[in-house]
Amino acid sequence: MSPKGQIHADRVWKRFRADRRRMLLRDELQRLSARIRRRGRTGWRWALRDVSFAAERGTSIGLVGANGSGKTTLLKILSQVMYPYAGSVDVGGRVGALIEVRQGIHPDLTGRENVYITGSLLGLRRKEVALRFDEIVEFAELEDAIDRQVKFYSTGMQMRLGFAVAAFLEPDVLLVDEALAVGDAAFQQKCLDRMQAVLGQGTTLVFVSHDLAAVEATCTRGIWLNNGISEADGPIRDVLGTYRRSIEEAAESAFTVPGVVRLVKTEVSGTDGGIPRTQEPLEVTLIVESPEPRLGIVFLGVSEGPAPPVFSLRHDLHLGAGETVARCVIPRLPLPRGRFYLWAGVYAPGGRDLLGWHPVAHFDVAGGDLDITPPGVVRLAPIHVQASWDVSAR
Amino acid sequence: MAEMASPEAPPADLRFRRRIGPLAAVRDVWRARELVRTLAERELRARYKQAMLGLAWALITPLALMVVFTLFFNRVAQVETGGAPYPLFSYLGLLPWTFFSTSVSQGGQSLIQNIPLLNKVYFPREVFPTASVGVAGLDSAVALVALGGLFAITGFLPRATSFWVPVLLLIQVVFTLGVTYVVSAVVVYLRDLRHALPVLLQMGLFATPVAYGIDFVPESFRTLYVVLNPLGAVIDGYRRTVLWGLGPDWGLVLPASISAVVVLLVGYLLFKRMETGFADVA
Repeated sequence: MSPKGQIHADRVWKRFRADRRRMLLRDELQRLSARIRRRGRTGWRWALRDVSFAAERGTSIGLVGANGSGKTTLLKILSQVMYPYAGSVDVGGRVGALIEVRQGIHPDLTGRENVYITGSLLGLRRKEVALRFDEIVEFAELEDAIDRQVKFYSTGMQMRLGFAVAAFLEPDVLLVDEALAVGDAAFQQKCLDRMQAVLGQGTTLVFVSHDLAAVEATCTRGIWLNNGISEADGPIRDVLGTYRRSIEEAAESAFTVPGVVRLVKTEVSGTDGGIPRTQEPLEVTLIVESPEPRLGIVFLGVSEGPAPPVFSLRHDLHLGAGETVARCVIPRLPLPRGRFYLWAGVYAPGGRDLLGWHPVAHFDVAGGDLDITPPGVVRLAPIHVQASWDVSAR
Repeated sequence: MAEMASPEAPPADLRFRRRIGPLAAVRDVWRARELVRTLAERELRARYKQAMLGLAWALITPLALMVVFTLFFNRVAQVETGGAPYPLFSYLGLLPWTFFSTSVSQGGQSLIQNIPLLNKVYFPREVFPTASVGVAGLDSAVALVALGGLFAITGFLPRATSFWVPVLLLIQVVFTLGVTYVVSAVVVYLRDLRHALPVLLQMGLFATPVAYGIDFVPESFRTLYVVLNPLGAVIDGYRRTVLWGLGPDWGLVLPASISAVVVLLVGYLLFKRMETGFADVA
C-alpha cells in the first residue's frame, strides 16, 4: 500500500468486449457457440495500453484526451472499482470519486442517507460524517431537499450532492470526471475553488475535463491519453499545447465539406501579408465559387482549438455565377499569442446552409501573452484587452 | 513517459492477478462492518417503511405457509411427525427454509440493485449479500415469536436436547451464505437468471423436507441427499432435538456440515473471482 495520497500506476492495460453484449444467458450461449464454431476469439478492444504514471501527495493532474481515449476507465481503475487486465495500480489512502453524475449516489435513498452511505464507503465513521454533514449540505445548496429521495433530484442537484460528498469527506485522492459540466457557471466556479482548497490540504487531484481552460486553471501537471496510450505527461501547459496541436491537425483533415457553394481559397494574414499580431490589423480573404447568382450570408469565426468561437462576424454576400472574392479586415486583432482557428460558413437568407460551418484555416498570432487568472479561476475565451493602470497612495 | 511503440497486447507476466488471502478478506469485511450495518438498516427500513404491517410480514410468510401445509398437505399425505403437532413440525421446517429463501432471493439481487454504489469506491462487494443474509436473520428472529406462540397453543414443550440448535443454526447460516454469494455474483453476469430465481426457490421448497419429514427420502439416498441439500439435515436436526428429544443424526449432519463449508468456501472464492469484473459489466 502506498503512503496516503500517492498514486502508482504501473503499465496498466485494460480491455473491454467489442461486441454488443447484454447480460443475458441467451447472449452468453450465443457467444459460446460462435466461439466453438469459429474457433476464433471474441473481439476485445483495448481501452488502456501500457499506461504508467506516479504522483506524489498534493499533485494536481489534468487528464485530457478525446472521447473514448480511456480517461474514465483510468479513473475507475484508480478508484479501484475496476481492475486492470495487466499491470498494477496502487493508490494510497481514501479515494473520493465523482466519475459520473449518477454514479455513486443511490437513487432510492434520500440525500441524507446517501451522504452517510458514501461516508461509510470511504471508511469514515458515522460521527465523522456527522461532523461534516452541515458543510456538505450547505455547499451542495440542498437544505430543502436533503431528506428527499435522490431520484427526485434534478441532474444539477445530483451532481452538486455527488461533488460535495466526494470533496468534503476528506479524501486523500480526489478523482473528478466531466460531471462538473452539469452545474451552472457559479457552481462550477465553486467546485473549482473547492478543488483548490482540497489541494491546499494535501489531497492529490486527478481532474478529467474537456474544458481545457478549467484543467489549465486547476492542474499543474497534465497527462494526455490518446487511444488508450499515454501520449504526453508533463507540465500542464506543455501537455495542453501538444494536445491542442493534435486536435487541430485532426480538424484540418475535415477542411473540405460539401455544399451548394465551394470555398476555393482562404487566406489569413497580418499587415502587408505578414504574420498576424496582437492589436494589429488582420485580413481574411475568401474566394467563394457558386454555380449560379444568389444572395448569401457569410459567417466568420475564430476559435482556440475545437472550442466554440471566441467571436464571430457576419456579412451579406452577393454571389455571382463563378468566383466571388470577400475580404474582411479586423483593424485591431484582440487575440493573444498562440494558434487559432478560422471557421466559415455560407448560408442562404432563409437560414439553409450553402456551405456548413467548419474550420477553414489556422493561423498563428504573434504578440502579447494574456495576464494569468487567479488560481482556480477559469478564463472563458482568450481576449487580449489593452489596459492602463494607475496605482498611487492615497 | 510511455512514448514507446506500444505492443498489441501486454506481456503475459504483467497480467493482473488479484491476491485473495483469506485473512485479508476477513479483515476487509471487518473494516466494512459499519457499511454492512448501514446497508442492513436501509434494507429493513425500505422493506418495512411502506408495508403497513411492518415487521409482522416476517411472521406472516412462514405462518401462512404453515397454515396451508396444515390444511392441505397434511390431509393429502399423512406425514409422520413423531408425535408432535403438525403445525409445529412444519413451522420448524419453514423457519430455516424462509431464512434460506429470503437470503437467496434478496441477497441474490443485492448486487444488481446496488450498481450505483458498486461503481463508486472500492469496498468488499460481499457486504451486499452478507447484509441481506443479516436481514433475513432478523426476520427469522421475529418469526421465532410465532414459534413460541405455537408451543403455547399446542401445549407441547421443546425438549432439553434443544441445546444442539446453535450447531445446526451454524450449518444453516454457512450454507445460506455460500449459496447467496454464488447467486448474487452470477446474476450480475446473467441478468435474466433473476427471473428464474422465484421458480427455483419454489421448487426448492418442495424438494426440501419442510412440509414432510426426511423419512420421505429413501434411506440409501439420504447421505447423498443431505450433501446436495444440507438444509434437509438441518431441518431434520431441529425436529429431532426440539420436538423428539433426540440428538442430531450425525450420519446426516456431518456430511451436511462438510458440504455446507465447501459450498461457502467455493462460493466465496467464486464471488471474489467474479468480483473483479463487476464494474466491467455493471
